[in-house]
Amino acid sequence: MRVRQPSWGAQRRRSFLAGLAPALLVLALITIGPAVYLVLTSLTPLNLTMPNTAWDFSSPVGNYIDLFEDPRFTRSVWVQVKLSVSTVILQLLVGLGVALLLNGGTRIRELARSGFLIPMVLPPIVVGILWRVMYAVDISPFHRFMAFIGLPVPSLITDPNWALFAIVIAETWEWFPFTMLMLLAALQMIPASPLEAARIDGANNWQIFRFVIFPYIQPTLVVAAIFRLIDSIKAFPLIFVLTDGGPGDVTEVTNYYAYRQAFTFSLWGYGSAIATLMVAGIFVLSWVIDRLTGVADAETD
Amino acid sequence: MTKASARISRRQMLRVGAGSLFIPFSLKAGKAPAQGGKKPFEGVTLNISCWSATYPKLIADYLTEFTEKTGIKVNYDTPGFPVYNQRADLELSTKGSGFDVLNVTFIYTSRWIGAGWLTPLDSYIKDPNKTPADWNFADFLAGSVQPMKDKTGAVYGIPWISDVLMAASARFDIFKANGLEMPDSYNELEKAMQIVNKKEGVAGFSIENHWGWVFIPFLQGFGGNVFRNPPDDLTPTLDTPEVAEAAEFFAKLLNSYGPEAAAGYTYDQVTEALRAGRVNYATHNHAFCALMGEEGSKVIKTSNFAMLPKGPKGRFPGVASHGWGIPLGAKNKDASWEFIKWSMSKEFIARLIQKHGLGSVTRKSLLDSEAYKQRMVINGVDTGKIFLDSIAMSEQGYMKYRTVHVYPQANAQINQAVSRVVSGQMKARESFAMAQANTVADLKRAGVKL
Repeated sequence: MRVRQPSWGAQRRRSFLAGLAPALLVLALITIGPAVYLVLTSLTPLNLTMPNTAWDFSSPVGNYIDLFEDPRFTRSVWVQVKLSVSTVILQLLVGLGVALLLNGGTRIRELARSGFLIPMVLPPIVVGILWRVMYAVDISPFHRFMAFIGLPVPSLITDPNWALFAIVIAETWEWFPFTMLMLLAALQMIPASPLEAARIDGANNWQIFRFVIFPYIQPTLVVAAIFRLIDSIKAFPLIFVLTDGGPGDVTEVTNYYAYRQAFTFSLWGYGSAIATLMVAGIFVLSWVIDRLTGVADAETD
Repeated sequence: MTKASARISRRQMLRVGAGSLFIPFSLKAGKAPAQGGKKPFEGVTLNISCWSATYPKLIADYLTEFTEKTGIKVNYDTPGFPVYNQRADLELSTKGSGFDVLNVTFIYTSRWIGAGWLTPLDSYIKDPNKTPADWNFADFLAGSVQPMKDKTGAVYGIPWISDVLMAASARFDIFKANGLEMPDSYNELEKAMQIVNKKEGVAGFSIENHWGWVFIPFLQGFGGNVFRNPPDDLTPTLDTPEVAEAAEFFAKLLNSYGPEAAAGYTYDQVTEALRAGRVNYATHNHAFCALMGEEGSKVIKTSNFAMLPKGPKGRFPGVASHGWGIPLGAKNKDASWEFIKWSMSKEFIARLIQKHGLGSVTRKSLLDSEAYKQRMVINGVDTGKIFLDSIAMSEQGYMKYRTVHVYPQANAQINQAVSRVVSGQMKARESFAMAQANTVADLKRAGVKL
């Protein structure tokens, strides 16, 4: 009997799979494994001081029911929404503005580009300490300057009306270079001919930006926004160093609340339930954005 | 898989996860004592951590002496109080071997000892081969050792500090110039603050922002408490009129007489503000107040001290002990004990007192010594006596609220509640009603039956 040889295409696929297998295995070990463990833990009341709570699945949705009845959790989600939306908008605006200013070939602009990247490459805890100093009324150059010109500013991080804003400013300072870098790359990809044509047609700078530049960089803006939105949910070091979630709970975002439950109270089951909901929320958010931008791209095409 | 084996594997997984945090330490640790070497522990490296108080920070400068004496090398760090506690809590909960000696934090004593995460030290204390008689464990203050014991009386920590909250004035000359004495009651305190605040550009009042520690004496002074009858009845009692009254008074002190951003002052900031004379009066830990008489202080000749002022229901100076303990999973327990013995020896502590003015020590013989008494006299005021009188007051038992295993939960809620009141987000009654509801929820979640 003649043995049928697999097609070239099938062999190729098999080879690709064999090549990918080690990477997929590592991926499964370092991402899927902990994720499954997190979900399983969220179904137990695990409290480290009470070993008998481990693998206790007698009330698997108990933590989730508690969460939806927990006003601190819903408040933390609202704080997270305010923080994420405001930081993403500010980072896009500042990043775009700086990218437009630096979009050119002079030596000073090249130096400035490197300089603007510094906040992004600093360790987050260093950024936190830097802004802690900036917000310390006694020693901050900002506060001293404002006092010197007769406009003293109260402490931003201890004032409930300003504390979240203080975090937003620091977060924006740290991460606007990311959007700047992406948008700068997009700006430099714009061909010269449509810009020249617009100028010949008598378009002013605003019109050139609105009708020529903006359509070119719009997809990059969306991608940068998605990256920053997802990353903003991880905001932790700045809050830890600057406000500890306070005053009261005005800067207590959801991951900070999860941290408090798990690490301060040892309630790992409850903390894991919060983390699981956050992971689910990020998946849903990414999917919705992907769908929306897919529809927008199709309409543009 | 049986339930028991599942439990073991989960604990192992936690251990692996938490242990990985300490890989840099663990890589260096774990060597067995050298056989036949000059020093019995040659080649052993200990990983030791404590929060950044005066005593543990001073020790860092003397570690080479310890290594020369025993052959034991030490990896040592002193992070901030909350960071240390979270790290130690996690490490101890895994029963891992990442650390060989850890501080037993006062508010975690019940939790860590009760859960069996620390090594009983009695076999070391009582063994004459491991501990010479002249080290004299009986010399430690009974009140300081008490929180380090379990229900059977076994000892899990050697207290290095028993700190008390007391009152300090950095610029008592301003008080005197206005005919004022150190306030002995809340009424006197408020009247004094009205007069001295902003005199000569000095803010009247300051206090560290660990409200779960510094606010409680006020809460008790007005007749309130954290729990109904700790440790037997842990029903929170944060929604009482007394607590609200205390919070309003406390917020008024801070907001009306504090420096700019007073609500954000950490213990280090309060200490420095006092030493620099930028703040006049604070209720603060004795160990930090003692630094007002040390080199670098600008207020040595203008300072004054007193016991915490009393409220309508009495005087309740906060007292807290911290001690050295050995984690259950530590691999070099004999070497760990060597470190504890050395760092808590009478001779070593006496040197720290003499050279650095270390206060709030726990050995009776040192507290009674002339050298200590002289060193604790700052500008003619015997702060050592205030310390001992405050510790004596705590024997009434009003500190029991602090060593229950769920105090960390209540502590977090009190911190947030006071913060809301001080920052003007909520009225005291509303804020503490919220704290009460949240604490009840947290305690139930932690398995406490109310």
